[in-house]
Parts: sequence; C-alpha cells; structure tokens
Amino acid sequence: MNPLLMSILLIIALTIFGRTMVRKIQLLMALEPTAAGRTDRIMDRIKNVVIIALGQKRLVGRKKEFVSGLMHAFIFWGFCVLLIRSITLYGEGFAHGFQLPIFNENFLLGYLYIGLKDIMEGIVLVMAAYAIFRRAVIKPERLHNTWEAYFVLCMIVTLMISDLLLDGARYNLITLYNNPGNLHFFNNLSYGNEFIWTPVSVAAASLISPLGADATGYVMTAMFWLHIITQLTFLNFLPIGKHFHVITSLPNVFLKSLGYPHEKTKLLNLEDESVWEDESLGMNHIHQLNWKQGLDLYTCTECGRCKEVCPAFSTDKPLNLYDFNQDLKHELHANSDKIIKRKKLSLALANEPDEARKEEIKAQMAGLKSEKSLVGDVIKEDTLWACTTCRACEEVCPVTIEHVPRIMAMRQGQTLMAGVYPKELNTALKGLERNGNPWGIGYDKRADWAEGLGVKTMAEDSDVDYLLWVGCAGSFDDRTKKVSVSIVKILQKAGINFAILGTEEKCTGDFARRAGNEMMYQAMARENIETLNNYKVKKIIAACPHCLNTLKHEYPQLDGNYEVIHHTEFIEGLVRSGKIKLNKALEGSLTYHDPCYLGRYNSIYDQPRSLLSAISKDGFKELDRHANESFCCGAGGARMWLEETIGKRINLARAEEIADRNVATVAVGCPFCLTMVEDGMKELGKEEQIKTRDIAELVAGNMA
Amino acid sequence: MKILTTVKKVVDVELNIHIKDGAIVEDGLQYVINAWDENAVEAAVQLKEKNNAETTLVSLGGGDNADIIRKCYAMGIDEGIHVDDPALAKADSFVYANVLKKIVEKGGYDLVITGKQAQDTDSGQTGIMLAEFLGFPCVSNVVALEVLDETHVKVSRLGDSGTEIIELALPAVVTVSDSINEPRLPAMRGIMMAKKKKIDSMDLAGLGTSGADVGCGALKSEIAEFMASKTRKAGRKFEGDAAKITAEVVGLLATEAKVF
Amino acid sequence: MAKVLVIADIKQGVLKGSTLELLSKARAIGAETAVVAIGKNISSLAADMAKAGSNTQYIADDASLELFSAGPYASCVVDAAKQSNADMIWFGFSEGGKAVAPRVAAQLGAACATEIIDVTLTGGNIEIVRPAIANKVMQRVKINSKQLVAVVRAGAFQATEGNAGKENVVKLSIPAADLRAVIKEILSDATGDVDLADADIVVSVGRGAKDQAGVNLVKELANDLKAGFGSSRAMVDGGFMAHNKQVGQTGKIVAPTLYMAMGISGAIQHLAGMNGSKVILAVNKDPEAPIFNVADYGIVGDLFEVVPILREELKKIRK
Repeated sequence: MNPLLMSILLIIALTIFGRTMVRKIQLLMALEPTAAGRTDRIMDRIKNVVIIALGQKRLVGRKKEFVSGLMHAFIFWGFCVLLIRSITLYGEGFAHGFQLPIFNENFLLGYLYIGLKDIMEGIVLVMAAYAIFRRAVIKPERLHNTWEAYFVLCMIVTLMISDLLLDGARYNLITLYNNPGNLHFFNNLSYGNEFIWTPVSVAAASLISPLGADATGYVMTAMFWLHIITQLTFLNFLPIGKHFHVITSLPNVFLKSLGYPHEKTKLLNLEDESVWEDESLGMNHIHQLNWKQGLDLYTCTECGRCKEVCPAFSTDKPLNLYDFNQDLKHELHANSDKIIKRKKLSLALANEPDEARKEEIKAQMAGLKSEKSLVGDVIKEDTLWACTTCRACEEVCPVTIEHVPRIMAMRQGQTLMAGVYPKELNTALKGLERNGNPWGIGYDKRADWAEGLGVKTMAEDSDVDYLLWVGCAGSFDDRTKKVSVSIVKILQKAGINFAILGTEEKCTGDFARRAGNEMMYQAMARENIETLNNYKVKKIIAACPHCLNTLKHEYPQLDGNYEVIHHTEFIEGLVRSGKIKLNKALEGSLTYHDPCYLGRYNSIYDQPRSLLSAISKDGFKELDRHANESFCCGAGGARMWLEETIGKRINLARAEEIADRNVATVAVGCPFCLTMVEDGMKELGKEEQIKTRDIAELVAGNMA
Repeated sequence: MKILTTVKKVVDVELNIHIKDGAIVEDGLQYVINAWDENAVEAAVQLKEKNNAETTLVSLGGGDNADIIRKCYAMGIDEGIHVDDPALAKADSFVYANVLKKIVEKGGYDLVITGKQAQDTDSGQTGIMLAEFLGFPCVSNVVALEVLDETHVKVSRLGDSGTEIIELALPAVVTVSDSINEPRLPAMRGIMMAKKKKIDSMDLAGLGTSGADVGCGALKSEIAEFMASKTRKAGRKFEGDAAKITAEVVGLLATEAKVF
Repeated sequence: MAKVLVIADIKQGVLKGSTLELLSKARAIGAETAVVAIGKNISSLAADMAKAGSNTQYIADDASLELFSAGPYASCVVDAAKQSNADMIWFGFSEGGKAVAPRVAAQLGAACATEIIDVTLTGGNIEIVRPAIANKVMQRVKINSKQLVAVVRAGAFQATEGNAGKENVVKLSIPAADLRAVIKEILSDATGDVDLADADIVVSVGRGAKDQAGVNLVKELANDLKAGFGSSRAMVDGGFMAHNKQVGQTGKIVAPTLYMAMGISGAIQHLAGMNGSKVILAVNKDPEAPIFNVADYGIVGDLFEVVPILREELKKIRK
C-alpha cells in the first residue's frame, strides 16, 4: 500500500509500546523474588496455558456464566485467529499482494484459514455487539462500567468492520469494477475462488456494492489504514489499562503456582534480628510484593468474579477484591520509580564492601519506601481481616490471580511488625500459647473425649500404622468430640492399628498463621514436629481439614514430612477396599457443604460424595454453590476466633442456602463448618428439621 | 514516677490438680504468670505510655522465672528483678511482703501495683501487708487507675456498697482486679527484643537481707496438707417439652429440695 | 477459753446474717465471743449483736466512719482486738473484710487466712481449711502464731439458734481519717436491689440472655422471688450488667439456698463463685454446658421459652 507510511506508523507505535513494556518489565524485575521457582514442570505449565488460557476453561466452563463466557472466549479465539491475518496486512503495507507461506492460495490451509477468519470476524462482531449490549442494558452486578471498557469494545468493532469492509471493497473492485489495481485474491482450481469461502466478507461487499469504482477504492484504502491504525492504537492502549491482560494473561497462567493452589505462606526467619530492625517481615509496603504478584495486578481484568463469589463481599463486609486489586495496582504504579531505584540500591548494597557506604545506601533505601503503608493507608484494616481465606476468588479467576497469599503476607506485616490485629484474637492466642488450643482449656484434658473407647496413645504404643490427628475441636469442643468418637468407631471396626497423641498433641497453628502470627505458628509447628518425629510418625489421618492442610503442606517447610490424609478420604478407601460396608439406610434427602480447606485447598471433592451416595436412601442433592465454588462457612482464615459484626453473618447466609434446598441432613467434613452451619441452622430455628452432621458420624451410624 | 509491679509464677488453673498424700502432684503441671499480676503489669505499662512512668517488676521465688519476666518485658516493662532463695520455699504472704518491702525501700518507688491475689493461693494479702509494713496508703480491688499529678493518683475500687472513688497520696500500693484492663498480648517485636534484656537476679543476701530477717524462720502459718475439693455431683437433667419439664422441676424444688 | 472477735457486717443500718453465722460458729467451738461494729449511727444495734450471741460489743460509732475506709476501720479492729485480747478475729466475706483483714494481721503481727471454710481449735492450736487454686484444692493450714485474723467464706458457717449473749458495750476511740486515701464519692449500686451476698435465692443471668431484653426477662423472675440478681462475666463484659453483680471467683461469692443459673454455661470462674449454694437450678440451651455438671436440677431449653413458664409455675406454688 504505502511502505513509507507503514514504516512511520510501525516505528512510532512499536517505539511507544516498547518503552511502555520495558518500564513494566523493569518494575516487575525490581519486585521481590517468589518463594518457589515458576519455570519448573514445563509440561504442566503448558497444559495450564492450553486449558485455562487458550481453552478459556473458567469462562466457558462455568454454567452460571456460560453465555458471557462464550462471548469472551469467541472474542479471544477470534483475536488469536486474526493474528495471522494481521501479519498479512502489515506485509501488504510494504508489498502489494503480500502472502504468507503456507497460508496462501496454494494450500488448502490458506483457504481454511480465510474461511475461519471470515466467520470469526463475523462472530467477534456479534459478540462485541452483545458485550456492549450486556454492559449497557443488562448491567451484570459484578461488572464495572468504565469508558475504557466501551472504548475497547468500540475498537474491536472497528477492527472487525474495517477488515470486513476492506475485503468487501476489494471483492467489489475485483468483481464489479474489473480489478483496476490488479488486486490479489485466492483463485486455485482445486479449492475454488476466495469469495465462496468468505460469506461474511461477501455480505459486506454487497452492502457497499452501490458505491462506484472510485468510492470503493477509497473505502478499501481507508479501511486498510483504519484497521492498521486502530490495531496499533489498541496495542498501545493495552498496557495502560485492564486490557493489559490480553498480553499478560498467557504468561500469568503459565507462571501460576503448581502443586499447591497458591503460593504458600512464606516461612519467615524470625531469629534474624535485622528483619525486626528494618521491618521487613510480611508485607507493609508495596515494594514487598513479589514479581508474580505484580504480574497478577497487571493481569487483573476487572471482571469482578472474585468479589461475586467472595463470602465476605456478598455479606456486605468491606472486602471488595476488585477494589483491593485496583488499589494495589495504583499504589504499585505510583511508586514504580522508587521501587526500581530501590532495587538498584539493594543490588549495590549487596556488592558494597565499605560499611560506612553501606549505611549510606541503607538510608537512601529507607527514603525510597512508599509513603503509604499498605494496610491502613491503601487497604483498610477491616478489609484485610474480612477474608476467610476460602479461595473461592482464586478458583473463579479466569487469569489465575492469587489473592489470598497477599492477604496473608499483609496480615503477617500487621501482626508481626505493626502489632495491629483484632484484639479478640488474644484470648485464642493466649490459649494456644499456654495449653496448645484456642479455647485455653487445660492441655491435660485433651484426651478426655477418648476415655473408655479403647484408644491407644502414642506414648503407650507407637508401633502403629496410623496416627489419628484429632485436632483441638475434636478434642475439646463437645459437639465435635462426637465426630472424633465416630471416627474411632469406624477405624476400630475396620481393624486399623492406630493411636492418638493424646495430651501431647497441640494445635497445628493453622489459625495463628492465618492471622499472620508466624511466631506462634512456628512455635506450635516445631513442637508438634518434634513430637511426631520422636515417634517416627509416617502416616497421619487428620480429622480436620485445617490440620490436614497445615500438616500436609506447611509442616514440610519446617522439615516435618508425613503422609497426611483426611478422615473422609481414608474412610472412603476403607469402603472401597471392603473393610467397611455401608447400609443405604439414611432417610431423608442429603446434601453436602464442601469445606474450603478440604475442597479448594486439597481437591477432595469426590470421596465425600461417594460416601454420602452410598449411605443415602433418599438421594443426594447438590447445593447451588458446591465443589470448587462452594460457599465458605465463615470460619476460615482465623475468622472462627473473630467477631463478625459487619454485614450479614456468613454462616447464616450459607444456612439459608442449605435450608432452601429442603434437605433432611447436611453433611460437612470440618469442625468449623460443623459449628458454623449448625449455629446457622439454630438461628433459623431449623436445627431439628435439618441435621448438620460430619460425614464420619453419618458413616458410623450406617455401617453394616 | 517510678512504678514497681509484682509478678508471681503460679500453677496454670486450667489444669486438673491431683492430690497425693496430702501434696499436689507436680507431674504434668505447668506454671504461668498470675493472671491478676498480668493486669498489674498492663496497668503499669499504660502509665508508662500515658505518664512516662519508669516501670520495674519484681518476681519472688518460683525457680526459673525468666519466661514470665521476659513476657512482661515484651509487654513494655523496663526492668526486671528476680529474687529467689531456698529460704523462700514455704514463704507466706508475710514473708513475701517483707521481701517486697526491702525492694521498695531500695528502689524508692512511688507506686506499687500488685494483682489483687495470686491464682495459686487466692489469699489476696501480700500487697495490703506490704503497704502496712511500708506505712504507705493502700487501696485493694482497684478497677481504674489514673495519675492526677506527681504526688496523687485517683483509683476506683469495687467495694461492698458500690464503686469507691479514692484519691491516693503517693507513695502508695494498689492491688488490681481483672476488671481494670485487658492485658495486651506482647507485640512480636517486643518478644524478640525482650530475649536479649537482662534480668537482675539475686538471692536474699544479694538484696541485703536474710531468711530470718524476712520471717522465714518463724512462719505464721504453714500448709499442713492439700486435699481434693469436694465436687458437686451432677443432678438430674431434664430435656423435652419446656412446659412439662419446667413444671416438673418446679414441683421437685418444692417437694424434694424443699426450697419453697 | 479462746476468744473470738467477730467483725459485724452492717449494711444500711442492718446487721447482716453473716454475723450471726460467725458468732454461731464461735460458740460452737467453745469460744468466748465479742463483736466489733464500725459505722455511723450503729450504737442501736448493740442489742441485736448481743442477741446474735456476742458477750461484748466494741462499737466505733461516728459520722467520720460512715463511708468504708480500710485504714480507720483497721485501727478500730486492732483496738478492739487488743482490748479483748482475742485469739481469733473473724471477718465475714466482703470486700471490706478482705481489705481490712491483712492490715489488722500486719499490725498485730498475727497470721492471716482468707476465705476459710472451717476452723478447728485443739488445745490452743488453730487449724483452718480453705480452698485454693480456684477451688480446685483445699488447704489445711496450721497456724503457728498465737493470733489468727481470718476472712470466712460466704456460706461456710451455719447460723444456729443458741443462747443470746449479753449487752456489754465498749466504746472504741475514733481514729483519725486516712488523709492519704480520701474517698471522694461512692457510685452506689442500684438501690432497692436485694443484696447478693445475703439473698436466700440468687437468680443469675448469662450469655444465653443475649441482650438487654433477655436480661430484663430474667430480672422479672428475680423480682418475683425477691431474689438477688447476679450475672456471669460475659454479661458484665457485654455491658448489660454492673460489675458488682458478677458472681464468680473475681466477683461475688454467693452461697444461697437456691441458685438459679439462667443461660449460664458455667465457666470454672463462675462455678467457683456459686458452687457453695445449697440447691442449684440451671437452664441452658446446650445440654453439654458444664453448668449441668454442678446443677441439682437442669432444664435443657432456651431461657426465653423456659423463664416465662418458670415464673408461672413458681407463682402457683408460692400462692
């Protein structure tokens, strides 16, 4: 078309784009390193990219959002398809009749491609129009209507229309006006000519057929440049707003945490005195984000799914993850110069031999700290403590942003450095410190529940196949003690050789860690690990998902390595192997409330359902929000020990949902869920109609 | 203003206490800071924060008390003294008050804050006796404490006919109730810093006194033996229709328990 | 013959039942009895105190003694103790007693024991029994010194019908006011309430009452029975009840004939304050609540449902 113009446009656009990107990448590189590497297990990472990013799993895979998911997926897939077309167009700018290898008229692939591209443009056009309609008329609650969103949709529409009209004009010039410019079109005897493969462009052609030859020629040229300029504008517009995800989401998915659903809470070295002096524990200032968390912020698409599924947000707590991410992103950008300079200084510091100069650099670095504290100034305290760490937000995030680890790191900062945390936690923390349980009940009563049941302690006989980890609730809470007794009955019936730690067991430290109290967590964890290692424990059956999660995933950070299995999983194995036989005798319909730390954190979804189906006579019903989209009971993330004074109580919201399902029994697999759901039922006055039971209790009551 | 608080290490009352041959079975017991003393420490730290007071704590006996003293350091106490001596093994409130008197005289404190009683003995005498020995005024069971000026504090005391508001001339002793405050959980930073802090440990000779001098030779009372408490037995529990069981229980109160 | 000096417990011009209980015990162990009474306009109570079983009445009656002040009160007791040459000086269970007893002991150089539940006298040797470690154990304590100052735990001694003593009033000199600890005012308890320590029936309210409406509901029951109205720690912390209504180890220790625990779960600190009661009735929603471990009669139910029924049923019976 016009190599000079094309060159100028490309140089300007790519220079600006390049500068922006370099800046963005510099900022990421100036952030903290991640705890675990992000480039291991390449095949798993590619698989994630294929399924989650390219396959748009979390968009089309959710029944609730299937239509809008499909809309986004088609726009995305359309863009992917159009990439090849774009290259051809840039080529055309430099050389008349430019064609790519393979994707040309000599190959069927070329034909298939133009056919696909044609259809896709049509579809994307329709989808973009639907997107505008949805934003403007349907207005789904989770979406934030910004000018940016409309602007981008308009650009997409412009891109599609300009390309279709470009082809339409070309077709008309060729067919109606004798191809004055010797325009190229596919015409291979084996596959026919281009027109029969591209119905949408043909339709566009007929739309502008009344124009004369000259006008058609102008349209073609105009549409070409419009398309190119829009595209280059679009490219430069991407990094400055939420549409950066177009560029970052694929790498973000590729780099996501593997093995555990999100980055594990950082094991802090509390013995290092310098960290207390320079206040570097936890996350108090924006430069303490790690680069992946920075990339997460770049990638946030502002779709609002996170807040929609959030138990805190949906019960009117101040935690709004949309705002949370936006606020962090703004703080990150506002401090980008400082962060980059600070990083340079820290590198210089590491190589500086001179002590005096070192102090100078340290002072300079201190001056480059962000003015705002992350909690208090950027994120409000109530917001930070509202999170139940349920991970629903992370499960639905289409671009795999990890929200919870940031919240954990900020809580560490608050608790360890600032000493600012909800004071209600003190009683529980004190209880933990003295008697190894949040109620502060004398540790000597920990095994009282097992009296008369014939349960061995490890002190009596440590030559057992399994250690049953009872947990604080199972040991001290009267309601949960019944669950412990049921588990014992099942294990005894199956002839399992097991023991408990008895008075030697202590809280795993889960809630302390979730509250950011790494010191108390490590104290608990180290004591437990010492006890476990003394008895050479290998296999643990955990009666609480929170204990399970901590023992299984967090104790290895402190060299406590055990094979840990939740009692539901274990019991299901007993049933499968025939050691436990069940009666299909439980009357009344049955549903299951997935505990977050069993489901979302440990992917145990099927075993509970398999057990429940095996005992239910009248059928198992799913809740509306179940499995990985289950709704938290409200007790996770140390919230069990905090008052819930703002908004509606989460457990009540969940109890109402369960009550609406009209079941006779709701099964749970976690002592916190048991308490919260049962309390919710009591509040609704339905504790008699709808029984809340742990799976172990139901199994124990229905063994053949 | 110089403040002295006292902290005692006591058996954790959350634990079951077993008695064998007239003595408490030590096996399995753990020892913690006396809860009321924690209130005293909190009160002192609050005065430090509000009124720039200098805070010192003293702990008597108890063997290795470093853990509870460091805990108080972490809460904000400036200095810690630990006096231990074999002669203190069977000490009663009289003896403790005598030792504390030496400490106060040596340190010249304006205000002594103690817990209203210790959880192991539940006696509630030491602070009051200390005041008598020193000739200081004293208010016990204090639920609020406020500095008026360099020489006066205002305290509230829960008395028999209401809350007494008392102006107290310094130097003085107050013993505090748990209603006075909610002791803070030490900040993590404080815990780390407290690890390095020195504890001024001494025996009675180091304090310039002796067992005989503080009354260890002629104890006014001695525990002859410990006995298990009489525990109430659970009576009857009624469940079911509220109207029916309530009527039944009221009937029993009249006919069986004969309280009406 | 051993001599016991009992400190009279006087409230709003009335001699409390605990004084009679202490005097009964003193007579039971064969002691010579005297009382000391301190306050304003109390000389008229001499006859009552004689009737209660005392043979000498030491009385410090002065306007300056209207408000409780530990220092002057202690001076009066020490004066009486010296005059009477008492072997034992007994205080009834009260905040005043707890504040004054150690002062008196320190001044006299006597042994001091608080919360005693029993005392024996064998050939001049005194031994007492008292609870310790939040009531978890009992201590038998040997008193080595000649004199003992003791605070007697509520409900420990029973009042018995016995011979009245004789009126023999000794006026005590009035000590100077303690200028270093000046009582500025007393924010007095709600007047008209039945005194917890003295009440024959105590009705207490706990967390199960939820809010002020629940507290009021239970208060009605207490009013019906003219009972003392107490509370668990939770309701005090929640701001629904005054501090001085808290029954428990750190509040009031009560030992009424009937203790009615409404919506109280029964934390150990609460139990320590009421498990000396003769009969305990508990109402609680949670069948596992620890209060049922000490209750003679337990009703498992919501107090909002049970209390109105309870009131009706009690009205029927008391008619």
